[in-house]
Amino acid sequence: MHELFQEIRSVIISGRPKEVEAPIQRAIEAGVPLDRLIHEAMIDAMDEVGRRFTAQEIFVPEMLASAMAMKKGLSLIKPLLTASQNVSRGTVLICTVKGDIHDIGKNLVVMMLEGAGFQVMDLGVDVTVEALVEKVRESRPQILGLSALLTTTMPEMKRVIETLEAEGLRDQVKVIVGGAPVDEAFALRIGADGYGADAAQAVALCKKLVEVA
Amino acid sequence: MKESSYSLFMSALFNGRKGSRPPVANPTSIVCHELMDRVGVGFPEAHLNAQAMAELALAGHEVVGFDAVMPEFSVHQEAAALGCQVDWGNRNAMPDAKNFPYEDFSPIHIPENLLERPSMRVVLDAISILRRHVGGRAAIIGKVMGPWTLAYHMAGTQNFLLQIGLGEDEVVHRMLRQLMPVPIRFANAMFQAGADAVVLADHATGNLVSPAQYEKFLLPLHRELTSQIHGPVILHVCGNCSDRLELFAASGVDAYHMEWQVDAKDAVARVGHLISLIGNINNPQTLYQGTPEDVYKQARYAIASGVHIIAPECAVPLATPLENLKAIVAAAHEGY
Repeated sequence: MHELFQEIRSVIISGRPKEVEAPIQRAIEAGVPLDRLIHEAMIDAMDEVGRRFTAQEIFVPEMLASAMAMKKGLSLIKPLLTASQNVSRGTVLICTVKGDIHDIGKNLVVMMLEGAGFQVMDLGVDVTVEALVEKVRESRPQILGLSALLTTTMPEMKRVIETLEAEGLRDQVKVIVGGAPVDEAFALRIGADGYGADAAQAVALCKKLVEVA
Repeated sequence: MKESSYSLFMSALFNGRKGSRPPVANPTSIVCHELMDRVGVGFPEAHLNAQAMAELALAGHEVVGFDAVMPEFSVHQEAAALGCQVDWGNRNAMPDAKNFPYEDFSPIHIPENLLERPSMRVVLDAISILRRHVGGRAAIIGKVMGPWTLAYHMAGTQNFLLQIGLGEDEVVHRMLRQLMPVPIRFANAMFQAGADAVVLADHATGNLVSPAQYEKFLLPLHRELTSQIHGPVILHVCGNCSDRLELFAASGVDAYHMEWQVDAKDAVARVGHLISLIGNINNPQTLYQGTPEDVYKQARYAIASGVHIIAPECAVPLATPLENLKAIVAAAHEGY
């Protein structure tokens, strides 16, 4: 089992989605407990991918390929999970704010969060404050992630938080922000609960926030 | 030396004689709301109409006091000519592409009449208008997208980067190679229309790809571009590119327009003798949200570091206060 896990880890870390199916099928056929397969082989691999990305040992292309391998691997296992095994680490609602259609950073965060076992609802790009607040009310996520690449759209993040307050929803959800022009100081100033400089930090931040919650 | 805006800029572009002050220019856009209001020309008109484009560019020189004018405010002129559906935006939003016509990486069709496509012709005409107005007085900068940025627009950024991650080198090389004629033809037409220098914007940025990937896929193409474009070339790559400055310096460009994450002193020490450096005042925190005093300090830091041409790091946010842009000019006019 150890060797099989190593092989799966290696395929995910080096981003070879075409090669992920065979070792995972072998693991399934060998009767490896699925939660161990997911955690010890796959999530562990994505943690390593995140570490290498933060350390700038790899860049976005490699991370995208790893995320693709992870996604493909998970899609093979998910149908086999029983309800009790299929427990998510937490729920995250995420989008790029109104006026901004840049989504690569947000997509990386989604991939890494899913890779880390979170259940993510991705509303896409250019999402209005109204639509977002409605979705928070309806789906009650633990965390709301807001992304912006443009300096012009940063103020939208503040509007989201103000509207959540006005609607009495602010206490029910942790708000995190990210994107090239955003920094820790900005996050603090607009009253967000956290800021992540990259996808790996966003995952660490979400883990911390759901533990506290 | 004769201290016109033009002379100061051109001399600094080649690391030549210094006048009494460094020039100020933005190879990317300095358009902000206040500037639109001042000249009565705004977006999206200034992306689509040559006269409006030229007037707004000219305001950068006449109203703000920059030493160069640059009339191409969007990054989608070529994408539109190559078949992207472009939403030309409005007063508050820059243009954006609505589709990726080659996301399947099928062969790219470059139209015979590329330079006559409306989104291309408008820029060439605006440059000619600027030539007639300020030629020889202020430097005129044109702008082209390099093959890397065009590949983002043709296939989608994520899709293109994924091919690199998957090791599909052939797919990546083929797309970049096919796009090469676009910047070469556009840039040379800009020089014929009256540009003094052309910015090559090619977003192999520090936040997205590695120096090794730049070296492998793009550096050879940048060398080809700089040898086939008949005039001075300024490279613009966003993000923290401190880890690839020497590679840029080896690409044959005359200057690099850098963002604030690249430390000015470090950049000058490492490559300032090989290429000129342009930049690098922070946009989101300083120019957009800071005070004129904050801007002044950063501009003086760039000047003291030996940056050749003082500039915002990239296209400025549309809500940037005009007085912050003027603070760059004020800092430069104090001299070295």
